[in-house]
Amino acid sequence: MSRWLPRTYLTLVYLLLYVPIAVLVVFSFNDSRTGYEWGGLSLRWYEALFNNRAMVQAMWNSLWLALSAATVSTLIGALTALALHRYRFRGKQVLNGMLFIVMMSPEIVLAISLLGLFLMVGLQLGYVSLLLAHVTFCLPFVVITVMARLSGFDERLPEAARDLGASDFTMTRTVLIPVIMPALLAGWLLGFTLSLDDVVVSTFVSGPSYEILPLRIYSMVRVGLKPEVNALGTLLLVFSLVMLMLSQWILLRSKR
Amino acid sequence: MKKLALATMLAVGLTGCSSSEETQVLNLYNWSEYMPQEVLDRFTDETGIQVVYTTYDSNEAMYARLKLLDDSAAYDLAVPSTYYVSKMRQEDLLMPIDRSKIEGFDNLSPELVNLDIDPDNEYSVPFLWGTTGLGVDTADVEGEVTAWADLWDERFEGRIVLTNDMREVFHVALRVLGYPGNSTDPEQIEEAYEKLAELMPSVRTFNSDAPRMPFLEGETDIGMIWNGEAVMGRDALPTLEYVYPQEGIIAWLDSFVIPKNAKNPEAAHKFISFVLTPEISALISEDIGYATPNLAARELLDESVANDRASYPTAEDMINAEFQTDIGDEALQVYAKYWEKLKSGL
Amino acid sequence: MGNTLQQPFRTAVLVLVWGWLLLLVFTPNLLVVGASVMTRDPSTFISLPMNLDAYRQLLNPLYLDVFLHSLYMAAMTTLICLVIGYPFAWSLSKVARKNRLLLIFLLIVPFWTNSLVRTYALKLILATNGLLNNALMAMGIIDEPMQMLYTEGAVIIGLVYLLLPFMILPLYTVFEDLREDFLRASHDLGAGRWSTFIHVIVPLTLPGVLAGVMLVLLPAMGLFFVPDVLGGSRNLLVGNVIKNQFLDARNWPFGAAASIMLTLAMAFLMFAHRLSKRRIGEDGV
Repeated sequence: MSRWLPRTYLTLVYLLLYVPIAVLVVFSFNDSRTGYEWGGLSLRWYEALFNNRAMVQAMWNSLWLALSAATVSTLIGALTALALHRYRFRGKQVLNGMLFIVMMSPEIVLAISLLGLFLMVGLQLGYVSLLLAHVTFCLPFVVITVMARLSGFDERLPEAARDLGASDFTMTRTVLIPVIMPALLAGWLLGFTLSLDDVVVSTFVSGPSYEILPLRIYSMVRVGLKPEVNALGTLLLVFSLVMLMLSQWILLRSKR
Repeated sequence: MKKLALATMLAVGLTGCSSSEETQVLNLYNWSEYMPQEVLDRFTDETGIQVVYTTYDSNEAMYARLKLLDDSAAYDLAVPSTYYVSKMRQEDLLMPIDRSKIEGFDNLSPELVNLDIDPDNEYSVPFLWGTTGLGVDTADVEGEVTAWADLWDERFEGRIVLTNDMREVFHVALRVLGYPGNSTDPEQIEEAYEKLAELMPSVRTFNSDAPRMPFLEGETDIGMIWNGEAVMGRDALPTLEYVYPQEGIIAWLDSFVIPKNAKNPEAAHKFISFVLTPEISALISEDIGYATPNLAARELLDESVANDRASYPTAEDMINAEFQTDIGDEALQVYAKYWEKLKSGL
Repeated sequence: MGNTLQQPFRTAVLVLVWGWLLLLVFTPNLLVVGASVMTRDPSTFISLPMNLDAYRQLLNPLYLDVFLHSLYMAAMTTLICLVIGYPFAWSLSKVARKNRLLLIFLLIVPFWTNSLVRTYALKLILATNGLLNNALMAMGIIDEPMQMLYTEGAVIIGLVYLLLPFMILPLYTVFEDLREDFLRASHDLGAGRWSTFIHVIVPLTLPGVLAGVMLVLLPAMGLFFVPDVLGGSRNLLVGNVIKNQFLDARNWPFGAAASIMLTLAMAFLMFAHRLSKRRIGEDGV
């Protein structure tokens, strides 16, 4: 194969991946109301966005949900990974299997099953139900990230710590946690993004008491062309890029 | 770094909490594009009650969601169409409306209160009424379109929008076949399905969030549209015309109801009263193009709105018009089955 | 490691994890299975007696068509992702290591952007008055705008756009592991390019292909918002049907049965994936 063929091909596919995003960003500064024509540069859609009380509230709700879901799932996920890595216990395979199933199963299946559960126990659909659902679908991703880090880890370190008289808890805190820190961060970030992006599960398990951004966007997008969506999308893009770069920076620093 | 992350989380956490302080909240569940933002803002300014506004695009979706969230008392106010009021009332899903807390009920047109769907309006207060007719973009459609049956014309292939509403779509086909729009006869429904299956290749999209949008976006030239949507659409697309088809339009009356377990019925009553204020009712009708049942408001209407045949049909336009009625669960299942298939585009 | 059950930390961790998974994964799934064998009830969603009506309904030609059609949509999506992704991953694995990391980063960035918003952006491009039609008309390639939005094609484009990275990443992993000496050996044994591709490269990358298929095919059946935005609210995916059953038509047993079909499809794919990996393990090393 000559060299330019693969290169051209790669470039072409990247172009296709980025054209819609570029369109989004460019059109978010478009003054035209109709949406397809260029009507000059303007920030009016950003202004409209921030003047919309319900929208701003939904933004805060989503942010808070994503923060808490990512944090809880990182916490539980890290502990799960540690348990899977260090302990021998009955049903380990089953636990592993269950996590794998959560990760692989179509979101919509998870969504209806959780809806059924929440209805049965009479849990009010809102922040709590969303949190439980989001933590559940983020969990396997955190576990995998942390497990990957643990598998390349020197087993003698915790042994040494215990020989020196450290309790299990102390050992985990002082030896293991620092080692898996980058993985925790990566897992947290992944959970944060998954939560912020989720439409399918949230459609089923949310109630009016806690409106979140993806559902707000969903109802806007269904109505038709709404230039505010472009502005919102651009903001979200910038936000996740900053998060992503921040995490890369932290990872690089921790490696040094 | 850790500290920074912690501080950020804390800061967001605090804002997250402070926003849920003790303000009164009204959870309003309404059709999309069915309430001007101005009305909500003015209500909040006047009463201090925050309105949480969520939307649906079909009676079925609204009903399913209300039932789903029945116990958790999620909504304080909803706006079902005609027959859903009677359905929900009979199923004991609604809270009686305390007339003593409602101001301006007497302004409502006598023709639109005390109907069979809810005798004495014990559970419902009319909000708006309107019709589903034919929307035609005369810039792209030559010749006159006068009937639902014209939709089956080959020249509209790929240019049609239908509402995403099972009952309405079948209503049209049933009328074209000469059957009642509220048929419960499985054979008639099947025939209507077959008729609609012929139409499907012509159908570009289903839209019940804002059926005017496919016209404005240039995707469709003709199709089912609500009169208010046609009126709103004219602002951006002056050639969008609302046609009363020969077979008869579909008429409906959307009413406020308070779900049985509503958390804040006080606020719901206040909101109903607020909307019944003639000035507000007039504002709504002018803004979104549907007809207000509020007679006092009609006197305040701008001349051009009051004489707009799309918003306020003449007696002649209403010939053959049919209100939708509750057809029972069994027939509904028959409809649902064919609807599923129809919407798969098969 | 000689831990005993008495250790409170260990116990606490295990209880927490098991509790979470049992309560929020195992029980809900059990509930779905339960719901699928109940009778539809207009007022309480589900009721006794238990029966297999929902499954019978699934096999009813009417619904079977819907199911098969959405399978076709998902399969087309997967196929296109594979056709685009396979050479892409291959090319990517040949790029110099330093640039590769940047390229992978660029591949993941769209994934971090809200998928609904990206779907909406496609609408701006595909619409009748949209950018693509305008561009093509300005270039004189077409006279009349093409109808792209609200077609099955638009939905497939949307799904491919959202899911392509999920095909590429597992493929890239297998290509990266592809050992040059295998290819050289094949070449030395006199195999031509084509024959090397068929007999060496394809079998060795098969686990990656299957992993990619799994990661694309299953979501492609469930992402109901894509047909809502790009397909004119048609029921083009199983996801739409399931959502309608739960949130519109209130036929829970049927919706539950449909989602169990999806789960079974997943199980089948996972099984195939495992099998292919094992075969490589035996033959390859």
